[in-house]
Amino acid sequence: MNDPCSRTGLDLTVMPRPWQCQINIEGICRMRLHHDEATEAFRAEFSAWLDENLPDPAHATERARSSADTPAWARAFQAKMFDDGWLVPAYPPEFGGRNAGLFEQLVYFEELGRRNVTRSFNPQGLGIVGASIVSFGNEQQQRDYAVPILRAEMMAALGMSEPNAGSDLAGLSTRAVVDGDEFVVNGQKVWTSGAHDADMLLAFVRTDPDAPKHKGISALIIDTDTPGLVRRPFPSITGPHHTDFNEVFFDDVRVPRKNLLGELNDGWRICNGALAHERSMLWIMWSQGFDTMIEDYLADVRDTPKAEDPVVLDKLGRLVADAQALRLLGNRQLAKQQRGLVPAEQSLLKMMGSEGQRELALLAVETLGPEALDQRQVPGQAGAFASDRLATTWFNRYLFGFAGTISGGTSEIQRNIIAERVLGLPR
Amino acid sequence: MDFEFTDEQLELQRTVRDLLEQECPPELVRKVIEGGSADDFWSTLVSLDWPGLALPEEYGGTGYSWVELAIVLEELGRAVAPGPFLATVTQFAPAIAAAGSADQQRHWLSQVAAGSVSGAFAVDEGAGTWQLEDVAATGRIDGDQVVLTGTKRFVLDGATADEVAVAVLVDGAVRVVVVPRTSLHVDGHDPIDATSVHAELGLDGVRIPVDRLLGDGPAVGLGAAIEEASVAIALATVGASSRIFELTLDYAKQRHQFGVPIGSFQAVKHKLADMYRDVERARALAFYAALCLAEGDDRSSAAASMAKAAAGECQQRCAQDGLQLFGGIGYTWEHDLHLYLRRAKVGELTFGSSSHHRQRVARLALS
Repeated sequence: MNDPCSRTGLDLTVMPRPWQCQINIEGICRMRLHHDEATEAFRAEFSAWLDENLPDPAHATERARSSADTPAWARAFQAKMFDDGWLVPAYPPEFGGRNAGLFEQLVYFEELGRRNVTRSFNPQGLGIVGASIVSFGNEQQQRDYAVPILRAEMMAALGMSEPNAGSDLAGLSTRAVVDGDEFVVNGQKVWTSGAHDADMLLAFVRTDPDAPKHKGISALIIDTDTPGLVRRPFPSITGPHHTDFNEVFFDDVRVPRKNLLGELNDGWRICNGALAHERSMLWIMWSQGFDTMIEDYLADVRDTPKAEDPVVLDKLGRLVADAQALRLLGNRQLAKQQRGLVPAEQSLLKMMGSEGQRELALLAVETLGPEALDQRQVPGQAGAFASDRLATTWFNRYLFGFAGTISGGTSEIQRNIIAERVLGLPR
Repeated sequence: MDFEFTDEQLELQRTVRDLLEQECPPELVRKVIEGGSADDFWSTLVSLDWPGLALPEEYGGTGYSWVELAIVLEELGRAVAPGPFLATVTQFAPAIAAAGSADQQRHWLSQVAAGSVSGAFAVDEGAGTWQLEDVAATGRIDGDQVVLTGTKRFVLDGATADEVAVAVLVDGAVRVVVVPRTSLHVDGHDPIDATSVHAELGLDGVRIPVDRLLGDGPAVGLGAAIEEASVAIALATVGASSRIFELTLDYAKQRHQFGVPIGSFQAVKHKLADMYRDVERARALAFYAALCLAEGDDRSSAAASMAKAAAGECQQRCAQDGLQLFGGIGYTWEHDLHLYLRRAKVGELTFGSSSHHRQRVARLALS
C-alpha cells in the first residue's frame, strides 16, 4: 500500500474522488523561504569579490551631475566589474558576465542593494542602450559601442520620447531618410536623460512614414558630436541645477548606414526587447529603492512621538506590506520563469514599486511636518556608491517619485497594459 | 526564496476547486442562507480527511504543511463554504495545539482529524482586536472544577460548535479551557453572512471539570494560534474577493453598452487593474504568511498581520468596485455577487481590522 491515496483510509474500489488519487505526498512544500546552497555560494563569491574590490570611500566622493556623467573612480570600478564578469551576470563573459541563472542574478542584486552599491552611473547606457546593442547589434557595433558603454568608456543616452510622442511612443515623427550610405535625420527628441554628457545616442526614428506606425521605426546609433545635432539641457522640477533632461534637435544630421541597429523598420522590436536580459530583474530596483526609503523613514520616526501616532502607523503599515508584496511578487515572477512559464507581472511590479515609493515619500513629508521645510535635512545615510538623487531630501524624493510614475510608461499606461494583456480586456 | 507553487500544489488547488464546484455550488450556499443544512457537505469533507489535512499523522492527520492548508482555505473562501471547517481547523485546533498538554492535544486533535468534533475559539470580549492583552474573563479553580465568569463576543460557530476553546485569566495568566457549547449561555447573531455565524457566549457561573483546563501554566503560544487563525481568515477573504474579481472581469467582457463591451472603457479597465493588483498583493502576502508558518519562521508574526491587513484592503476594493461595475444586476438578491461580498466583509470584521493589523505591522517594523 504505497499509494499515497491509501493514507485516506478509504476503499479504493469505490469511484475515487479527484482529491484522493491525484495528490502526491512526495515533493510537497518546495515553495520555500530560502535559496539553495549553490545560489548562496554564488552570493558568497560575489560578496567576497565586493569586499576585495569596492573602491575606498575616501576616494569615491566625486558625484555624477547627470545620468551620463560618470566620475573617474566609478568608471574604473565599472570596468573592473566588467573585466571580472560581475557587471551583468546574465551576460556571457565577453560582455562582462558569467551566464548566471535567475536566482543567481537575484542574490547578486540583493548584495548590491544591501551595500548600496551602484553598478553604473549611466543606467540607460548599461540597461538599455548597451543591452540593445548586445542583443541586436552586429559584431562591429558590439565592439565599437556595446563593450565601451558597458566598460564605462563611453556614455550613452536614449532618444525615444518626442514632444508629440510620449505615452504614444510609436507615434514618433523624427524622420530618417536614406541618402546613399547615410541616413539624414531631422526632427526632435525630448526628455533625453544625460544627452548633454553622452558620447552617443540610440535614437528611434521613422524610416517608413507609409507603414503602420509600429512598422516604420528604426533604431540608429548617433554620435553626439555629429554636425547638425544640438542638445539643450533643461532642469527638472527638483531644482534649477538638477539638469539631466535634454531636448535634442536634429537638423540634417548625417548618420552612416552602418549605424543602423538591427534591420530597417524593425526598431519597435528593439524598443520592446531592449531590456530582455534583465527584464525579469527590473523590479529589484523598485524593491530596493522602496526598502531603502522605508528604512530611512523608520530611522526618522523611531523613538519620536510620530511612532505612537495611529494615523502614521496605519499608513506606514500599509507601505511596509506594499514593499513586502512587491518583493514576493518579484520572487514569484522569477520562480515562474525558472519553471519555464512566461510571467506577466512586469507592469504590475512597476506600478506597485513606483506608486509605493511616491506614497512613502508623501507620508514622510506630511508626517515630518515643518521638519520637512529645511532642505538641509537629508534622510538616511547614503552609501558611498549611491547615486546622488536618492540621497536627497524627503520633499525631493516625493517630487522624484513622479519620475517613477511618469517615465517608462505612466501608471495609467501600466494599468492599460495589465487590463489588456494580463486580464484580456478588449482594446 | 522560491515563491511559486509546485506542480503538486497546483494540482491540489485544481482538485480542491473542482470538488468544491461540485459539492459546494452557490445553490448550497443559498440553501444554508434560507435555513437549510450543510451537514452533508461537512460529511463529505470529513470523508476526504480534510479536517486533518495539516495535523500530524500521529493524531490521524495527513501531515501536510500550512501551504497546502492555505490552498484549501483560499478555495473554501472562494466557494463561500459553509460549515465548521474554518473554526474547527484554523481556530479551535491551533488553540488546543498551543495550550494543551501532550495528552490533551492527542485527545482533542485526534477528534478534529477524525471529524468527530466541531470546535470554536473564544477570545475577544468587545474590543474587536482579538488581542490576549484584552482578555478579562476569568477561570477560578474550585476543587476539581473551574468556575468561569465573563462574556465572549463574536465567536465564529459559537452557537453551533460542539466544543469551545475559551481564553480566560486563571490566576492572572491567560489559559484555555475547553467548554461544551451546551454548557454556555449562547446568544446567536442575526448574521450579515448566514454561512458564517458568530455568537456571544456568556460564561458566568459555568462550571467545568478541571481536566478541561489546558496545560499546566500560562498558554504562552496562544498568540501564535491567534496569528494562525488570522492568516486562515485572510486566505478565505482573499478567496472570496478573488471570486468577486473573476466574476466582475467576466461580466466586463460580456456586458455591452454603447455597442461595445464595457471592459473596453478605460474607467472600467483601471478599476479592474487595481482589483487585480490588490488580489495579487493580498494573495502573495497570505501565502507568504502560510509559508512562514509552514517553516516555523520567526517572521510569521509580522507576516500574519500583513496578510490580514492586505486581505482587508483587497476585499474593500473588490466588494466596492465589483458591485459598482456590475451595476443594477449586482444589486439584486438573485445575483450571487452578494454571497462573496458578505463573506469577504466578515473576514475584515473579525480577528482585527486591516487598520489594526497595519498598525501592528508598523510597530513591529519600528521595534
